[in-house]
Amino acid sequence: MPGMDRLNTPEISSAILYDAMKRINAGIKDLDLFEFRYALENVYPKDGWNFVELEKPLEIERLIGDRDFYTSIQLKPKDGERIVLDENILRLTRMLFAGLLGKEYTEEWVMTHFYFDIRGFYFLPRMVYFTEDALAHFGGKPYKRFEQRQKRFERFQDIGYKDFRKANSEIDQAFIESLQTLIQVRSLPLIITLAGPSAAGKTEITKRLLNVFEKAGRKSTTIEVDNFLLDMEYRDKKPMGKESTHFGLFLHSLEMILQGKKITIPRYDFIYATSSHDLGGNLKPGCIPIEIEPADIIFMEGNFPFHIEELSGLIGIKAVYLTDDPIRLKRKWKRDIDYRKKYDPAFFRNRFFRTQFLRAEECYRPLMKVCDLVADTTGAAFWATPEIVKILSRD
Amino acid sequence: MTTLILNAPDAFSAALFEEMKQINPGISDLELYEFRYGLIDLFPEKGWGSVKLDRKEEIEERLNSRDFYDGIQIKPKLADRIVLDEQIIRLAQMLFVGLITGEYEHEWIKKHFYFDIRGFYFLHRTLYFTDNVLAHFGGKPFKRFEQKQKDFEWRQDLGYKDFKYSNAEVDALFIESVEKIIAFRGTPILLAIAGPTAAGKTEIVECLRSAFEQVGQQVTSIELDNFLTDRDQREVKGIHSEGKKAFHFELFKQSLEDITHGKKISIPCYDTVYATSSHDLQGNLKPEGVPIAIEPADIIFIEGNFPFLYDEIIHLIGIKVVYLTDDPIRIKRKWKRDIDYRKKYDSTYFRNRFFKDQFIMAQIAYRPQMEVCDMTVDTTGAALWVTPEIGEILRKS
Repeated sequence: MPGMDRLNTPEISSAILYDAMKRINAGIKDLDLFEFRYALENVYPKDGWNFVELEKPLEIERLIGDRDFYTSIQLKPKDGERIVLDENILRLTRMLFAGLLGKEYTEEWVMTHFYFDIRGFYFLPRMVYFTEDALAHFGGKPYKRFEQRQKRFERFQDIGYKDFRKANSEIDQAFIESLQTLIQVRSLPLIITLAGPSAAGKTEITKRLLNVFEKAGRKSTTIEVDNFLLDMEYRDKKPMGKESTHFGLFLHSLEMILQGKKITIPRYDFIYATSSHDLGGNLKPGCIPIEIEPADIIFMEGNFPFHIEELSGLIGIKAVYLTDDPIRLKRKWKRDIDYRKKYDPAFFRNRFFRTQFLRAEECYRPLMKVCDLVADTTGAAFWATPEIVKILSRD
Repeated sequence: MTTLILNAPDAFSAALFEEMKQINPGISDLELYEFRYGLIDLFPEKGWGSVKLDRKEEIEERLNSRDFYDGIQIKPKLADRIVLDEQIIRLAQMLFVGLITGEYEHEWIKKHFYFDIRGFYFLHRTLYFTDNVLAHFGGKPFKRFEQKQKDFEWRQDLGYKDFKYSNAEVDALFIESVEKIIAFRGTPILLAIAGPTAAGKTEIVECLRSAFEQVGQQVTSIELDNFLTDRDQREVKGIHSEGKKAFHFELFKQSLEDITHGKKISIPCYDTVYATSSHDLQGNLKPEGVPIAIEPADIIFIEGNFPFLYDEIIHLIGIKVVYLTDDPIRIKRKWKRDIDYRKKYDSTYFRNRFFKDQFIMAQIAYRPQMEVCDMTVDTTGAALWVTPEIGEILRKS
């Protein structure tokens, strides 16, 4: 077929794909065709696009909703000495490119289910964080909505913190003010948890909140949940939660600090991946625990399932701080790859693809069904439960 | 006071952040904590107070000596990871500490170094327009335009669209000038463009090619690399890819002579995968070798790093061009092109190699060729430099 031949001529197929991809991700317009081709070379199938076996759209939708697909993603597959993209990730991107070229998949379908990261030059599935349950929990609409200033980041390949903070100034302000209102009506000490995916902006907003509360004369402190992790060898890849932490100690510590007592908690060593405490919860010889002074407001920040029943009752305010995956990924390119030079880029691409799904499933989606507040920085929307809205509107 | 700050990492990094904004204004785009992330890899094991500073003259001397660059390792490893060469780290550490203690003035640092934000390290400013080069061009450029690359100083990486846009004026004048010289000198003519990696050679050659084709001229190209001899043979002799001996030089010279006389030529073919030539060391086709046939043409591009470095062939080349872009801009282009898009190298290997090659290639390839070329396009300076002889041709036509 003449049409098929065209697709197997790299010069022609890459030019067609370049145009299609400009519609899928407007940032592609910033690339010259030859730059697009350079990036495409790494995903070009050995025998050309014609020989990429395509799955039906429904089959692909099933695949990207299946946990097993993500747990099987390898983080460090190698070709010689080099870490390469996991073959299933590569296969997905190739299928989508080939399907766009052969018009097997519509652009609309691709955009509904996937986003394309230019710097990583691959497709990732779009996660739904606002499930129907979560929407019902918040009464179907956000408490407040602002102009979506992150829109302009759609074309960016990476994002630095200054631009990010500026885009979020309104929603951040609303979030900070609401917490100020809430702590006035709640009894102290009060535990506030701030959960959110990596690079959503948790650390920065926590710092600002601490400042605000200090200025208002409230004594504040933070507990890093990671310090309750068990030695890595005992965690056996179990997700963050009861099984992977000194959970009994964790509960006890929170109960004590809520009674206004100074607490002593385990210390997790990230370099050696070990805890200062043994499995029985006793301090190991030669290890030094962390001491935390009593405070009015105790922040806990992290990727932790704060919805766990035993824990849930101790937490005064459960907040989630969300930023959409495509934006988080761009922040991580800048922060973790460009500035920190922390990971190999291929390892990073594999890991982001994998954890994006697993964390949403284990942590954020369940948490959003029960939490009090969600700051969605990308949607520029502030969500609160009807009960919280009542308190905030009284103000 | 200074000792205090050297021993307080947070105070040191905050003070350095302010100083560095003056050295490279692009640092202002970073938040302090982002700057600190960049600094982690350069933090001295025993603290900033342990960094011993060399005198400015010593540093200048070292950074202008070939030995220093020959000593730079491109793949030093710490466990599994490639790390920055220790001399490169030491240089950055000295400059950071010297900035804080006042030992090195801003002016001195800015004169001799540039700071690449993405790589988070200092590189030496290589001088391309030496006295000899300036004398060769009669001391001033043929024409100078507004320097639109100025805007790129703040950037961390640079895509081709912005780059092309900023060079539009000097590129247009360059193309027009080449057309005039060809009209004056006649065809067939050999046209060689030398220039550092990511200066924009490939793209300007494409522009020239389509300009010629539009007026009906036949265009072809000869890649110098095809004349390389088998890598095994070169390695035995320790000559790598520099110098005449690395090439089938006689064949090269003969081929250039023949094609300028309008003859079809047959040249060796170098297989980059197996690193072997189709021809043996005597210049004869190997039994299984397949040469490349090149049809006669009006304009023949010579592509490669050293197209007119050798006396024996200089006279054969009708137009000798050096196409330059400043090192701080080239490195930004390479971040985008070679690291982000092509994912070609480990980023630290890339940082080591750029630091090293920048100097060595200027010394062995670009400065010598600038001293003998007909014209130099300086995209960053937005200037076209031509010899007095070429200047006359351009003014007449």
